Amino acid sequence: MASGASLIPARHQPELPIARFLTGGAPDPEHVPMDVVFVGGGPAGLAGAIELARLIKKDNESGGSLGDIQIAVLEKAQALGEHSLSGAVVNPRAIRELFPDLTDKDFPFRGPVEGERVYFMTGSQALRIPTPPTMQNHGYFIASACEVVRWLGERAEELGVNIFTGFPAASLLTEGEKVTGVRTAEAGLAKDGQRGPAYAAATDITARVTVLSEGTRGSLSQAWVESRGVQSENPQIFALGVKEIWETKKPLDAIVHTLGWPLPTSAFGGSFMYPLSPNTVALGLVVGMDYPDASLDVHELLQRMKQHKLFRQYLDGGEMLEWGAKTIPEGGYYALPKQKSGDGVLIVGDAAGYVEVASLKGIHYAMQSGMYAARTIFDALKKGDTSAAALSAYDRAIDASYVTEDLRKRRNMRLAFQKYGFYVGGAMATLMTLTGGAFPGGKISSHRDADAPRIAGAGERFVPDGKLTFSKLDAVYKSGNATRDDIPSHLIVGQDVPAEVAELYVHMCPAGVYERDGERLVVNPANCIDCKATDVIGPRWTPREGGSGPRYRQM
Amino acid sequence: MKIAVCVKRVPDMDARFRISGDGTSLDEAGLKFDINDFDAWAVEAALQLKEKAGQGEVVVLSLGPAAAQETIRKALSMGADRGIHLAADRIPFDGFAIARALAAELKDGAYDLIFFGKMSPDSSNGIVGPIVAELLDYACVTAISGLEMAGGRGNAKRELEGAQEFVEFTLPAVLTVDEGLNTARYPSLKGIMAAKKKPLESKPAQLGDTMVTIKSLAMPPDRPPGKIVGEGAAAVPELVRLLQTEAKVL
Amino acid sequence: MANIFAFAEQRAGELRKVALENVTAARALADATGGEVHVLLAGSTGIAQKAEQLGKHGADVVLVCEHDALKDYNAEAIAALAADRIKSGGYRVAVFSTSAQGRDLIPRVAAKLGVGIVTDVTDARIEGDAVIVKHPVNIGKVIATASIASTPAVIGLRPGNTTLVENAKAARVEQVQPVGDPSASRVKVKEMKQGTSAKLDIGEAPVVIAGGRGLKSADGFKLVDDLADAFGNAAVGATRAVCDDGWRPHSEQIGQTGRVVSPDLYIAVGISGAIQHLAGMRTSRTIVAINRDKEAPIFKIADYGIVGDVAEVLPALTAAVREARKSH
Repeated sequence: MASGASLIPARHQPELPIARFLTGGAPDPEHVPMDVVFVGGGPAGLAGAIELARLIKKDNESGGSLGDIQIAVLEKAQALGEHSLSGAVVNPRAIRELFPDLTDKDFPFRGPVEGERVYFMTGSQALRIPTPPTMQNHGYFIASACEVVRWLGERAEELGVNIFTGFPAASLLTEGEKVTGVRTAEAGLAKDGQRGPAYAAATDITARVTVLSEGTRGSLSQAWVESRGVQSENPQIFALGVKEIWETKKPLDAIVHTLGWPLPTSAFGGSFMYPLSPNTVALGLVVGMDYPDASLDVHELLQRMKQHKLFRQYLDGGEMLEWGAKTIPEGGYYALPKQKSGDGVLIVGDAAGYVEVASLKGIHYAMQSGMYAARTIFDALKKGDTSAAALSAYDRAIDASYVTEDLRKRRNMRLAFQKYGFYVGGAMATLMTLTGGAFPGGKISSHRDADAPRIAGAGERFVPDGKLTFSKLDAVYKSGNATRDDIPSHLIVGQDVPAEVAELYVHMCPAGVYERDGERLVVNPANCIDCKATDVIGPRWTPREGGSGPRYRQM
Repeated sequence: MKIAVCVKRVPDMDARFRISGDGTSLDEAGLKFDINDFDAWAVEAALQLKEKAGQGEVVVLSLGPAAAQETIRKALSMGADRGIHLAADRIPFDGFAIARALAAELKDGAYDLIFFGKMSPDSSNGIVGPIVAELLDYACVTAISGLEMAGGRGNAKRELEGAQEFVEFTLPAVLTVDEGLNTARYPSLKGIMAAKKKPLESKPAQLGDTMVTIKSLAMPPDRPPGKIVGEGAAAVPELVRLLQTEAKVL
Repeated sequence: MANIFAFAEQRAGELRKVALENVTAARALADATGGEVHVLLAGSTGIAQKAEQLGKHGADVVLVCEHDALKDYNAEAIAALAADRIKSGGYRVAVFSTSAQGRDLIPRVAAKLGVGIVTDVTDARIEGDAVIVKHPVNIGKVIATASIASTPAVIGLRPGNTTLVENAKAARVEQVQPVGDPSASRVKVKEMKQGTSAKLDIGEAPVVIAGGRGLKSADGFKLVDDLADAFGNAAVGATRAVCDDGWRPHSEQIGQTGRVVSPDLYIAVGISGAIQHLAGMRTSRTIVAINRDKEAPIFKIADYGIVGDVAEVLPALTAAVREARKSH
C-alpha cells in the first residue's frame, strides 16, 4: 500500500461473535447454584457484592426471611487486583457511602492530592497552564486500583461473599431472553485445542441475577446489549492507556497532567504522573483509539515521553517496577446502553460506560453503580421477582443519580475532539465547561473507533535503552505476565489480513502480541495483557484460561 | 489407604525481594503467596492414588502462621479430605525443627504414605521429608518422577545427573516429589465450595530447639561488567583462553 | 584441632567429581583448625582402589566399606554407615555434596545424628562454636548466612562450586564394616539407566548452550548441537521465540515461563537478551554471548562476548573446545 492510502480497521475486524457469548440450552446437571453472580471482581462488582451482602445481613438480623443468599464474584485473574489498572485519583464519595462507619484513613488510598499541575508539552518544553475546571482534584485521593480492589475483596469475604479467582466467564447462560447464569472458560487446553493433562472443563453457575461487572469492553456485556437491541445512541469509543510504576530517587510533590507532545494534534489524550509514595510514581499516557496515524504506538510514545526532562528528572537513577495497559471507555453519556438491565441481568461500571473522561474518573462511578445494582437486586430478591420489569429499577435509580448527571454535563467534550480536532474541540470543551454543558447542547454524533480511517505514517524506529525505555517484550515481563506459552489463541483474527493492517495491529497492541513477518501477521497470544485494545479495532478478544494475563501488584 | 501430604506456602519467585529491617528476614509486603509447586505435585500424586484405589483418605498438613490455612484450603479444593494446621509464628529456617513438629503430628496417624515436595524454592534445603522419614522410621524415596503402587509395595523412578534410577520400596514410606511426576489439577469451582466445609483443625506446632539460624541476608553481589572479547571467529582463541584460565569452566 | 569428615560419592565404581570437591573443601576446613580429613568411601569390592585419588586432594584417612549390596546407592545402608562413622569419629563438620544422591543422603544422616544441617552451601567456615555457611535462597535472589550450632554440623556443598585443589596426603585406608545388614534395605535399586551421549537435562548439565532467533532457522541449531557435542557435558536450550516457532520443543525453553537454569557455563547464541529470557539464566556462573548485534542487551549481562555471525563463530568455537577437551 502506498503511503497516503487509508485503511478502515472495521473492514478487517471479525464481527462480534454473539452466539459464542450467549449460550442457550439447559445448564449442566453438575452446575453450581448461586443466587447472585458478579462477573468481574473490580470496584463495581465488589462494591455491589458488599452492598448486597450487607443489605441481606441486616434484613436477616431484623427478622427478614431471605435466609442464606449465596453471592459469587467471578474474577478471571489469578488473584483479585491482578487485572486492575487505573491512574488513579479517586473521588471518595462512593466508598464513604459504602462504609459509613469508616473514616478516610481506613480506606486503601496512598494519600490525599496535595498539589496539582497541568502542562502543555512540546518536545523540549513543559509550559504550565491553569488547571482546567474539569480536572480539579482537591479533596480526592491518590490510589492504586489493585490495592483498592484487594481491600474491597477482603471486606467482601468478611461478609461471606464467595470470591472465585482464576474463573473467567466465557458465556452467559440464557433461556430465551432470560439470563440464568454464566459458563466459565475451560482450562488446560493445548495449542491445538486438545485437552492437556491438567484439563479442567467449563463450569456452569446458575443465578437468579447475573451482574456484568466485566470492566472495559466486556465481551458478555457487548453481546447481551447487541442481542437485546439496546445499544446506546452513540457507539462506545475507547482510549488506550499504557502505564508504568517507577521507584524514584526524587520525590514528586503533586499530581501532574499533560497535554500536547508527544501526541500529534490529531490524537486525543494526555499523560499523567502521580506520586504513590515518596519514592514511587505512577505515570502513563492515554490516547483515544480513533487516532488517524496507523503507525501511532502508544507504548512507544510513552517511552519517548519519559525522555522529556519533565519526567526524566524523576525517573533517572530509578527503576521500573511494573508496566501495564488498559483501555478506557470514553463515549460518556451518549454511549450508555439504552437499557442496563434485563431479565436476570444488570450491567455496571466500565462495562456500561460509567467513566467521565474530562475529569478522568471511573472508579467511584463504578462502585456507585454496583451499589445501585445491589439495592435493586435486594428488593428483587425480597419480592421474589428478578424479571426485567423488577430489575429496571436499577436503570431508574442510576439515571436519576449524580453519576448520570455528571456524565450528562460533559457529554460532548470528548466527542468535540473526535469531530472537530484539537483546537476547535478544545475551544468547545472550554465553552461546555463554562456553561455547565448547556452549550453546545444537542448530541454530537460519533463513529466507532474501528470505522475511523487510518493512514500509515512515516514512523522512525525507536530503539529502547533498557534502562529508561523498554521494548514491548521487556515491558510485558514487567506486567508479571507468565501466561502458559502453549495456550491456544483466544483472539479471533480476520481472514487474509493485508500487510498494512498487520502493521496497524503491531503498533496498536502495547504488549507485542502482533508481529509482522514479511506479509504475514504473527500472533503471540501469550503476551496478551487483556487491555482490550485489540477488541476495539483489531482481532476480537475472547475469554481464555483463568489466571492468564498480567499480575499487577500496585497498578 | 491413608495418605498424608505436607505442604508449604511460599512466595512467588518472580518477585523482587527486599530484606526487612531486622536483616534476617524478607519483607513480605507486596509478595504473592501460593502452594509450593513441588507440594502441589505431591497433593496430585496422593489424590491420584486415592482415586485409583477407589477408597482412602488424603490428609493435608502445613506448618506456619494462620495464612498456612489458605494453602491447606487450596489442597482441600483440589480434593484432599481434611487438613491439619500446625500453628507457628514463623516458619523457621531450620528444616529439622519443622520435621520434628510434623513427625510429632504424623506419628499416630497410621499413614501408609506421606508425600512431600522435593524442596521449596524459598528456603531451598530439601530436607524436611527425609528427616520426617527417619524420625518415623519409615522407608523413604526422594525426588520421584515416576510412581506405581501395587499391593504393599511401590516402584519409583528417580532422576539423577545424567541417569535414572528405578527403585522398589515397601510401605509405610515417605516419598518426596520432583518435577515431571504429574501435572497438578486446577481446583474446580465445586471443589472450592466443598473445601469450605471440609474439616481443618489448628493446633500449636511442637518445634523444639532450632540448631540452625539465619544470621543475615544479603543481595548477591552485582555481576562485574563483562567484556566483548572480539569480533568474529578471530576472537575464539582468546575466549577459550579466558574460559580456561579466568573463568575456569573449560 | 578438629577433624573433618567428607563423603566420597561414587557411581558405577568411579568417583564422581563432587567427591573430590568434598575432600578439597574438607581439607580447607581441616587446615584452618589443624585437623585431619577422614573420607568415607562405600561401594562394591575393589572400591578401595579409589582411595589414592582421594588422597591426592587431601584425605588423611579413607574409611572404606566394601560390600556387594553397596554397588548401587543404598540409601539406608549408607546413611546408617555414615552416621555411625561420624558419631564415633567425633568430627566437627561432615561435608557432603548436594548432588541428587546427596540430597537423599544428607538429611537421613543428620536426622540419625540429631544435628543441624544446611544444604546447597556455597561457603563454609568454622567460627568458634558455630559453623557459618552461605546458602542461596529464593532461587538465588538472596544469599543467607546461617549458623549451625551443633557438633557435628552437617553440610551439603553446592556441586561444581568448589575448585579442586591438589594437596596430597597419606590416604591411609581403614576397612570399616556396614551397620546391620545392607541387603535388608526397604528401598532397593532395581536398575540404573546411565544417560548416553543423548541430551542431558538442562537443569542439571554443567554447561548449557542456548540458541535464539539469531540462528535463522531450525537447521541453524545443528551448530549448537555440534558445540554441545564438543563439550561432552552440555545440554541444549532455546528461547521462547524459537520454541513458539516450532524450531525446538518447549521442554528446552529457558526463561521466565520455561526452565530456570544455573549452570557453570551458559553460552547464549543468537539471543538478544529479553528480560524474560534473562530471568531463566541470570544466576549462571559464567555467561558467554555470541550475537551479531553489538547493542544486544545480552552483552550487558554476559561475562564474555563475541560480536559476530554465529555461522562463522560457532564452528571455530566448536573446534577449539574439542581441542581443549582432548587435553582434559
